[in-house]
Amino acid sequence: MPHLTRRTLFGAAAGLGAAPMLTNPARAQQRPGVIRMGLSAWPPNLQPWPSTGASAGTVKMLIHRRLMRFDEKGELQGELASEYSRDAEGAWVFKLRPDAVFHNGEKVTAEDVKWCIEQIAAERSTAYYRTQMQQIERVETPDPHTVRLVMKAPNVTAPLWFANYNMAIVWRGSRDMANAIGCGPYRVASQERGTWIQLEKANNYWVPGLPRTPVIRMVVYADENLRLAALQSGDVDMVEYVPWSGMAAVENDPRLKLDAQMGPFMDILFNGTRPPFNNPLVRRAVAHAVKREDIVRVAFSGRGKPIEGMPIVEGTPWYDAELAKGHAYDPERAKALLTQAGFPNGFSTTLLATSQFGMHKDSAEISQQYLAAIGIQAELRLTDWSTRVSAGIRGQYDIAVHGVSADFNDPDGLTVVLDTSLSDAHGRSFRLSTPRTVELLAKGRTEFDQAKRIEIYKDMQRAALEEVPVVALAWREQGYGFDRRITGFTNLPGALTTSSGALLEFAAFG
Amino acid sequence: MWWLARRVGLSLLLMWVVASIVFLALHMVPGDPAEMLLSTGGAMPDAYAIAELRERLGLNRPILEQYGAFLYGLTQGDLGTSLVDDYPVSAEIALRLPRTLELILAGTLLAVLVALPAGTFAAVRQGGAFDRIASSLAAVLQAVPVFVLGTLLILVLAQWLRWMPAGGYVPLAEDPMRHLVLLSLPAIAVAKGLAATIFRMTRASVLDALSRDHVRTARAKGLTPQRVLRRHVVRNALIPVTTVLGLQMGTLLGGTVLVEYVFNWPGLSTPLLRAVEARDYPMVVGIVITVSGLFLLINLAMDLIYAALDPRITRS
Amino acid sequence: MRRLWLPAGFVALIVLIAAAAPLLPLMDPVRQDVANRLVAYLPGSPMGRDEFGRDVMSRLIWGARSSLAVAFASAAIAAVIGTALGLLGGWFRGLAEVLAIRGADVVLCFPPVLLALLVVTLLGPGTGTLILVLSVLYLPGFIRVSFAEVLSARSQDYVEAVRALGARTPRILLRTVLPNIAGPVLVQVSLAVASAVVLESGLSFLGLGVVPPTPSWGLMIRGARATMEQAPMLLLWPCLALTATILAMNLLCDAVRDVADKRGGGGAPKLRLVDRLLPGLFPAPAAPRPLLDVQGLTVEIAVPGGIIRPVEDMSFRLDTGRTLAIVGESGSGKSMAATAIMGLLPPAARVADGVARFDGEDLLRMPEAARRKLRGGAMAMVFQDPMSSLNPVHRVGDQVAEAIRAHRDVPAAKASAEAVGLLKRVGIADPDRRARAYPHELSGGMRQRVMIAMAIANKPRLLIADEPTTALDVTVQAAILDLLADLRREEGMGLVLITHSLGVVAEVAEDVVVMYAAQVVERGPVSQVFANPLHPYTRALLAAVPDGDIEPEGIPGVVPRPDRWPPGCRFAPRCTFATEACETPPPLEEVQGQAVRCVRWRELRA
Repeated sequence: MPHLTRRTLFGAAAGLGAAPMLTNPARAQQRPGVIRMGLSAWPPNLQPWPSTGASAGTVKMLIHRRLMRFDEKGELQGELASEYSRDAEGAWVFKLRPDAVFHNGEKVTAEDVKWCIEQIAAERSTAYYRTQMQQIERVETPDPHTVRLVMKAPNVTAPLWFANYNMAIVWRGSRDMANAIGCGPYRVASQERGTWIQLEKANNYWVPGLPRTPVIRMVVYADENLRLAALQSGDVDMVEYVPWSGMAAVENDPRLKLDAQMGPFMDILFNGTRPPFNNPLVRRAVAHAVKREDIVRVAFSGRGKPIEGMPIVEGTPWYDAELAKGHAYDPERAKALLTQAGFPNGFSTTLLATSQFGMHKDSAEISQQYLAAIGIQAELRLTDWSTRVSAGIRGQYDIAVHGVSADFNDPDGLTVVLDTSLSDAHGRSFRLSTPRTVELLAKGRTEFDQAKRIEIYKDMQRAALEEVPVVALAWREQGYGFDRRITGFTNLPGALTTSSGALLEFAAFG
Repeated sequence: MWWLARRVGLSLLLMWVVASIVFLALHMVPGDPAEMLLSTGGAMPDAYAIAELRERLGLNRPILEQYGAFLYGLTQGDLGTSLVDDYPVSAEIALRLPRTLELILAGTLLAVLVALPAGTFAAVRQGGAFDRIASSLAAVLQAVPVFVLGTLLILVLAQWLRWMPAGGYVPLAEDPMRHLVLLSLPAIAVAKGLAATIFRMTRASVLDALSRDHVRTARAKGLTPQRVLRRHVVRNALIPVTTVLGLQMGTLLGGTVLVEYVFNWPGLSTPLLRAVEARDYPMVVGIVITVSGLFLLINLAMDLIYAALDPRITRS
Repeated sequence: MRRLWLPAGFVALIVLIAAAAPLLPLMDPVRQDVANRLVAYLPGSPMGRDEFGRDVMSRLIWGARSSLAVAFASAAIAAVIGTALGLLGGWFRGLAEVLAIRGADVVLCFPPVLLALLVVTLLGPGTGTLILVLSVLYLPGFIRVSFAEVLSARSQDYVEAVRALGARTPRILLRTVLPNIAGPVLVQVSLAVASAVVLESGLSFLGLGVVPPTPSWGLMIRGARATMEQAPMLLLWPCLALTATILAMNLLCDAVRDVADKRGGGGAPKLRLVDRLLPGLFPAPAAPRPLLDVQGLTVEIAVPGGIIRPVEDMSFRLDTGRTLAIVGESGSGKSMAATAIMGLLPPAARVADGVARFDGEDLLRMPEAARRKLRGGAMAMVFQDPMSSLNPVHRVGDQVAEAIRAHRDVPAAKASAEAVGLLKRVGIADPDRRARAYPHELSGGMRQRVMIAMAIANKPRLLIADEPTTALDVTVQAAILDLLADLRREEGMGLVLITHSLGVVAEVAEDVVVMYAAQVVERGPVSQVFANPLHPYTRALLAAVPDGDIEPEGIPGVVPRPDRWPPGCRFAPRCTFATEACETPPPLEEVQGQAVRCVRWRELRA
């Protein structure tokens, strides 16, 4: 038998294995003038008007300007517009800031705004706000810095539309919309598709002193654990979507700061085209069946809050403590409702959710258990996200667990979730009949008197509690984690949290 | 030469089969590129917008027409552009393929350097302490999924000790040192599974080779044990190990998904996964064609190496 | 078979526990209890609770059901279909080969995750889909392995033989080829089972695996990863279970392969412990110092159950320039004795007693380094099967040159030239060209000539030839024997010729040692022994020899199995002259230059 000395083999192995460990891990150092940010997803494209997600929105808000913006408290204010008002005829009038210039040196004029609105509203547009812009009867430009919007019907929340990150105002000469010419504080300096994108200060940005940090380098970290690790190890200075299980670690880290807001929420959607969920009694039974605290604890490590009514934020004028308990956990009541609906022994059905996101999967697993407790045996159908979207749009499900966010903090922002008369979408119940809710949402949109609006939306909540367009489950925190030395950045409250990226313009070390 | 031409022809045929299967399967699975793009991040797009985008992307054409167009593009050497951002598929592949290859090569090298001597030594001392420990370790390595190992490595080395960056990529030209540091962890993760396989394969092959008569002959010649081991045992045992290695490397081409994901290594697997999610048909098909072409190339190379290693193999 | 028990029992235990999950007093594995989320210990939950507050131990055991079901089912399906395809492809070639191998290539061309994504998206996630995906993923491995093995088995003698007998193809494939490719296929199975569970967890990580809340190890690992910092034990349990399963599967498959594999590495013959030692008999030393003087050589092999002795108290002498033949049936210990002298015993065997003086120096107690210098130098050996004894991957010229350079410090080029000269010396025509050939390109006789060239490369004084002609054609045998005789004469070496053919002995040898069941039963000059055989075994051998060179078949019965040696004379059960006296072990007696181990030799001589 041949003999080999142990020494020879171990010696060789040690020499090879040890090399990388002993080296000084040349880590990237934080440099002044640069904020490195960890994104959760790559912006699929930067076309200004179609929706391509919040990560794209962050970039779009930095390279473009909108007519309106939200300040750090989430209050609406002008961005390109210096002031806005509703004139006597009910048209919305925006006065543009005269100093704004596009990156190509052209001045920002009312004609540009008009062109953009018309493009978005165009018949062949793929813009996110196409429907809304089509509610504008005409755009008038009395002078180069005034835009007058004549609405087809009165609408209270119209100015909020123009703060959406898919509402960038770009130069009317832009033809290649993937590289539309904007007038924001940054421009895209370089990028590697799918990996990183570097924004640098636009030389001709027209607000003095801004942006505070000349370079923002955004790196995509798709894995939330790695994104957190990158923040903790100092590879990046800031991350979005801090995973809930890691929020405590960020809070406890003396070098880091966590800024979390309850914004988006989880809900259960229904298919209204087939029994049994076309019956509001069954939907109400579902609403009373699920113990929300468990979802908050499991899916969000306690970083959330149960919703036992409609998703109206506590502390806002539209909130009503009693209505907020309208769908409180009550299995007895749920069973009674089921019996009333003709299912004393429950029934079997399917529960659709995506397995791609842990919070959807976890919420679905818990909902499944509580539904089983009142006799609804729901088989889990966990699919990839694309299949989930496709099945949602086509109504190929019975009930679905989902996570959504309102468009903005005004209750009209919930229209996108609650108005089942809107076109088929994966984030809304499928062709459910909830006439009173829909009607009251429409009424609230056209009422300009605040006191009356409050009453309308309380009525809307009452209607929705009975018609159950969705069963809201829990708010979840949306957190930004960043280096404690960074100032000027705030996570915007509520539904606006996904728009917080705009504030990077004001962020800087020191 | 004729043999080579036949192989190349066969490979092209295979690539066509694979590309066609992927193309058709992708169109069959639920999910729609236009819906996906406009629903990114949970947005709920207008039905008209989706219809318009479908029209623009040419998704409303009959499937056979799309297939024909795709095949025509292929014959022109054109892999098309992404449905998401119009980015040329070939450019994406050209950028990322080298990184995946680098990762695979580094991982393979690491695995071979560790597992080959370890497997040989374990076989030579079969049943000894080293054999037992190494065999158990190989089982542990096989048992710990790569995403757990990766997360653990990052947790310890990046989050707790802060010795290492938490994944990522820096081009070699930009900062060679950092490039290698960033390469090391994913390479270890790739090497993990491979090393366990190579270890077991080597151990078995060496055991087999040791029992062969020609090893006795070699010893009867009065050769030193080292020389017997090197020239008459390991050299012969390498043949089956090489086959397995070639197969494994081929599989790794599209199989580094989890490693790339966990360590944020911007290789070819990430865009593949993302493209499947987005139902970005041209990107998926383009990457699969590339991967299968490379796989067949590796196969060819392995056959040549195999023939060089084992003179009994003739190309018939 | 013994080695099978432990791993097989372990695997069986794991499977049993998984199968018995419904019978065990376990908590409901899907029952959530969020209040006790991530608790490390609770009465009734020794392993604590997971992120949903479900009992970890219960999930671990129930999870074994789905994980192992997926792993075993997918490995089994892939093994059966893949092996079948590989068998057919390798046997029939042509279209079957193209379909099997190219089909495998198509699968391999798919990145595995893409394949999983497509299949799962099409069929929906679930255990069935998972099994399908994994089977498809493993298929190419089995096809390739079995294809390659069938190709090589196809040309093997035993397959050719069965074929020549007119067996039908399915029968050949099932009965002859399949058992012979079982080893590599089993290894593949163990790899597949092991990686199936890991892949299941990977696919679960991507959301493509088992559908929750059904417990599976993969899902447990996925879930635990998210809470790794708060509850590291949650990660440990499923990983531990996985490691244990993989380890057990690896061990089991290794053991099964060893049993199934005919070539078996650990082929120590199973012999029973001989009850008592026989005293060694030392003949008086002769006047001239012999070239090789073996006295009382005893070889032991440790087997489970004790120690057995395949060579026992063997003694003989060989003078320079002479030829000694060792004869005996297979299993008599003659080859073992030769390898012991050369210091080439298999690892399980060791020399327990005796001396073997080569030129006066004891080979058996010499340091390995010194003995290595002699091996291939002053003493050399030629083996039975020249095909397997030559390394198939090196050119024969190089193998000869290697022998030269192992003992003499000559430049490579000079060694090569010398090797060509040696090949010429052993009668190989066109030695220049043949030196560059690989063993498989040469005929059997030519290979044996190469072996001999290798052995005489350093002008040995002692050459041990272990059945050098058994594997060869009759015509070639004579030529090889002539060559050996010529070399002995011309180089003046001593030759030990191990053979079972008395014809060869008569032709070539001067002295003969007859062995039976590890013992020397008769010894003496050929002329004397052949003319006047004293031992009944020698007589029987001589009587059984026709003119050819075949295994003596005339003796009724076979050599007893090594663990069934009779207590007395070992030949007694087959001996026509056996009496009661033969039940005590006979000593080796010296008579007029002849030695015999038989109590009745005097009576029988009459």
